[in-house]
Amino acid sequence: MAAPGFRHLTEPNYGKPPKSQSKVLQELVKPHIESFNFMLSEGLNLAIQDMQPVEFALPSGEKVSLSFTDASIGVPTVAQGNIHALSLKVYPTECRQGGTTYKAKIRAHLCWKLNNEVKAIKEILLGEVPILVKSNSCNLNKLSPSELIKKNEEVEEMGGYFIINGIEKVIRMIVLPRRNFPMALNRGSWKNRGKLYTEYGVSMRCVKPDQTAVNIILHYLTNGTAMLCFSYSKEQFFVPVVLILKALVDTTDQFIYDELMRGKDKNTYYKGCVTYMLRQIQTQGLTSQRKILEYLGEMFRVKLGLADWYTDRQNGEFLIKQCICVHLTNNMDKFNTLVYMVRKLFAFANGECAAENADSTMNQEVLMGGHLYLMYLKEKMVDWLVSVRYSIEKQAKVKGQSFVLNSTTLNSAVGRTNLSHAVEYLLKTGNLNSKTGLGLMQATGLTVVADKLNYVRYLSHFRCIHRGAFFSEMRTTSVRRLLPEAWGFLCPVHTPDGAPCGLLNHMAALCQVVNDQPQVSHLSRLLCNLGMTPTDGPSPGEPSECYDVLLDGRVLGKVDKEMAGELGNKLRILKVRKEHRVPEMLEVVLVPMTGKCSQYPGLYLFSSVARLMRPVLNLATNTTEMIGTFEQVYMNIAVTASEAHEGLTTHLELSESGLLSAVASLTPFSDFNQSPRNMYQCQMGKQTMGTPVHTYLHRTDNKLYRLQTPQSPIVRPCSYDTYNIDNYPLGTNAVVAVISYTGYDMEDAMILNKSSYERGFAHGTIYKTEVIDLKKISGEKGKSISLMFGCLPDDRRTEGHLDLDGLPPIGAIIEPGDPLCGYINVETNVANTLSFKHHERAVVDNVKLCGNDLGTAECQKVYISLRIQRNPTIGDKFSSRHGQKGVCSQLWPVENMPFSESGMTPDIIFNPHGFPSRMTIGMMIESMAGKSGSLHGLSHDATPFTFSEDRPAIDYFGRMLREAGYNYYGNERMYSGVDGRELEADIFVGIVYYQRLRHMVEDKFQVRTTGPIDILTHQPVKGRKRAGGIRFGEMERDALLSHGTSFLLQDRLFHCSDSSTTQLCTKCGSFQGIIQQKKSALLEGSSVNSSGHWYCQMCKSAEHIQLLAVPYVFRYLLAELAAMSIKTTLQVK
Amino acid sequence: MDSTPKKDETLKEGRQAMVYICGECHHENEIKARDPIRCRECGYRIMYKKRTKRSIL
Repeated sequence: MAAPGFRHLTEPNYGKPPKSQSKVLQELVKPHIESFNFMLSEGLNLAIQDMQPVEFALPSGEKVSLSFTDASIGVPTVAQGNIHALSLKVYPTECRQGGTTYKAKIRAHLCWKLNNEVKAIKEILLGEVPILVKSNSCNLNKLSPSELIKKNEEVEEMGGYFIINGIEKVIRMIVLPRRNFPMALNRGSWKNRGKLYTEYGVSMRCVKPDQTAVNIILHYLTNGTAMLCFSYSKEQFFVPVVLILKALVDTTDQFIYDELMRGKDKNTYYKGCVTYMLRQIQTQGLTSQRKILEYLGEMFRVKLGLADWYTDRQNGEFLIKQCICVHLTNNMDKFNTLVYMVRKLFAFANGECAAENADSTMNQEVLMGGHLYLMYLKEKMVDWLVSVRYSIEKQAKVKGQSFVLNSTTLNSAVGRTNLSHAVEYLLKTGNLNSKTGLGLMQATGLTVVADKLNYVRYLSHFRCIHRGAFFSEMRTTSVRRLLPEAWGFLCPVHTPDGAPCGLLNHMAALCQVVNDQPQVSHLSRLLCNLGMTPTDGPSPGEPSECYDVLLDGRVLGKVDKEMAGELGNKLRILKVRKEHRVPEMLEVVLVPMTGKCSQYPGLYLFSSVARLMRPVLNLATNTTEMIGTFEQVYMNIAVTASEAHEGLTTHLELSESGLLSAVASLTPFSDFNQSPRNMYQCQMGKQTMGTPVHTYLHRTDNKLYRLQTPQSPIVRPCSYDTYNIDNYPLGTNAVVAVISYTGYDMEDAMILNKSSYERGFAHGTIYKTEVIDLKKISGEKGKSISLMFGCLPDDRRTEGHLDLDGLPPIGAIIEPGDPLCGYINVETNVANTLSFKHHERAVVDNVKLCGNDLGTAECQKVYISLRIQRNPTIGDKFSSRHGQKGVCSQLWPVENMPFSESGMTPDIIFNPHGFPSRMTIGMMIESMAGKSGSLHGLSHDATPFTFSEDRPAIDYFGRMLREAGYNYYGNERMYSGVDGRELEADIFVGIVYYQRLRHMVEDKFQVRTTGPIDILTHQPVKGRKRAGGIRFGEMERDALLSHGTSFLLQDRLFHCSDSSTTQLCTKCGSFQGIIQQKKSALLEGSSVNSSGHWYCQMCKSAEHIQLLAVPYVFRYLLAELAAMSIKTTLQVK
Repeated sequence: MDSTPKKDETLKEGRQAMVYICGECHHENEIKARDPIRCRECGYRIMYKKRTKRSIL
């Protein structure tokens, strides 16, 4: 990587859009876009081929079959009836600004058969489904930067998200078990599955080409048998594995015995188990494949729900096809894979091999957005077919025997439902509304909003991988643990602290997700040429000394122990050289026989999609090779060339910081910091005010932050330039003096120079958009309109605030409570206004009026974007790039700031106590580097691991400082700003890049003396928005009590809460029953306002009545008690 | 916007036209109240309110 510099800012073409977009940035969102493209190009039709036709009989006895032949998704266009639009294409910007969904039509061909005879193939519009921005179906696809700008997009627009009602949504990537690999697992909960069940099992997640998955688990039972567990429509079934083996292949028991026993003849226990299992099936009279299939079909007929005319055997075959090893189509392959699983299970149960860790990255892959979309769409399409069936059956039921299915009756059945709503709902809410659950562990939280708070946060949405919502409730921490297997794939630094720690991970910068399924059918022959023996061939050597060769969960053959290593190496060379069509993304894993209880040996090859892969340098060929998570565990990769061991190391890391994610690699000198500080920086980098977008005018986000005076950092790591963050800067270079000066800098408080503030330091703005939808206000639906925007010409309320169109003029200042817009009721001609409900002054930035898709509607919806100025004040949060956050405590006048010999005053005063316990040496080095960089006019490289013990960073920057005439360590003589005296100690002054965080007092302060109260209890309400109070709880009460400040206590808990006065009769001790007597006739003349005197009805007297101050809730309590016939007596002293 | 029409007039004639800028082709459109929101040039469906030179009241 080239050394970082200001090249993006100083290049001659600065400000002009480049010819093409940056590849690095596009690469970051690739998993999202390519998985969606897979769905568009192949996935949808693969799914349709896999769908079972919906079959049923009409009352007339005719057999109907409904199925799709193919489907396709178009590009987003305007509604068909729109005759005004010049261009039919809809671009994402319109959806963002108009609060609509970016969607396109999905069409399919419905094939309907009557008595197995194709009647017609009919094109059908299934609805409109959301389209991923920048996918092949998106209108932005393949546009150049300058064309993108014309479409109101960013120059480096990456896409990878959907636009649902104007909000950008990303489908979260979720960790799944590695597909098509039988994993030996130890699960205590399996013991509860029934009698004899043990914790041992071999589980495999089988995935079809259309990405739908079916899990199978092979259980070990204490009586030495194995049960196969599979599920069909969310229900689990357990079948003896030998039954399935015999159902798959028409063969003898001897053959099955031989296959299971291969190389294990000496194990008498295993021999007993296998013979017992075979005998068990034999005794039930299930001797042949036909008998077993019929038996299975009979047993499962009800559950499978196939049409009645299917035979038992067909039902049985259907079961095998749909539930057992669905990743394979050939029954012999399924048989071989199951045999492998049985052998692995018995080896595992006997302690010959170790359990595999499901939490380890090596056994995991990723659920990609496009795959989830496809699975869901497939299910909804099946539901659609079923709904057509019900609709036909309903018609048939009414007409009875006379009902005939023809194109007219079919047409009326079709078109009742569509998919639009269902798919949009998934993306809008992230909730999976599905019958099968799609084999996922969670049904909520599948999508997240890609909020553009700043660029770094936006990027990280596309790189994040969640472990699954299920695990966040788990008590054990083992799933969250950082494992060495994750090296280079998941970033060890970039994970939040707190509840989602370790569950929400981010991919390392160079890590990729495999998207293309390569052609692998030729690999079997190639492997045979390299020394493998196919499954049906004779054993190449001693059977116990052979490795099984598995490609994507299919047993290809065996290879001798001696030859296996060489075969693996040869295959790897072919892979790297891309010879013999060996796919580049192939994973080659040789799990060796160790003679110890280690992972079950074998030669495993993976070519499937959704695996994590990363580039390393292959030393044999000196080219980059993509390696997978499983593979890495059995490889010898050196981080630097000096660490390589002769004859052992085969690979080398591309860069030392390759294990970091895009966001973590932006932390300068992160190798000098204590590791949690780097984690904090990853969090705070994502909360920084910066430059989220360049298209403020064309967006209607609820809230957008903007830093008015951003700068390019002087000290930056390489990746800053790689990702060209200069386009979206998020901080300011500040002169920082590390000194304890005013007394206002204790406990992470920091002092800002008031003059720097006045010059614009860290000034910021919030863009807030108010949506006003008159349809919502009037509550109308459909075309009728009763409200329209506008003001009456002589309306006092809106004069000077709103134009006649009912909208504020651009640039107008709006104070809290001012009218924001006006509308008129068309029928009554009564004008009304909506007032601005915010506590700050705002400026109208822009006003957008929205029409409808047809271009025929009057204005019913407007977006008013407002700017709110947010310049730093006391209480705003700042941080350096080293997890050193602080709150501004004073804006200190420049004349009172300490000054250096050259007369310079710092922008920020940082308390030295922030350093010792946090050990953020990186910040000190950044300070020195920043200072020397600004003195020499350079940008310094802050990439981690560039400096070493032999070449210390401090020395490098110290020399530079000395050359510029400054102190080697960056210290300076300073003078007190108050009285001009020289400070005894030299002060460490330098330049640090500071970020302004979005947490500001203006959004947080909560203050009240009295205010809104709860109606029932008369106590203050909750919540900042409603001007409520903060709970003064028991512990706070204890604190005041122990200080003896009882008046303060009374003030807080009584006078500022629910203080009330009431009359009490001290004789009977009750509030109740005291009434105000009517004024007697005598007194009437004396005083007009005098009310009658108080009188206790119980005691029949007015003597003992006293006025008392009591909490209102207490009166409420007594009233409630009285309602339950409980008398209370108060004794007043 | 120089003279405010009388109440009855405004109701009959529809309110005075205001100028809005098309979000796609930037053409300036005069749109009256109760007119459909649509660019006369390109048929685009989002309009921006125009910034006026007259001082804000």
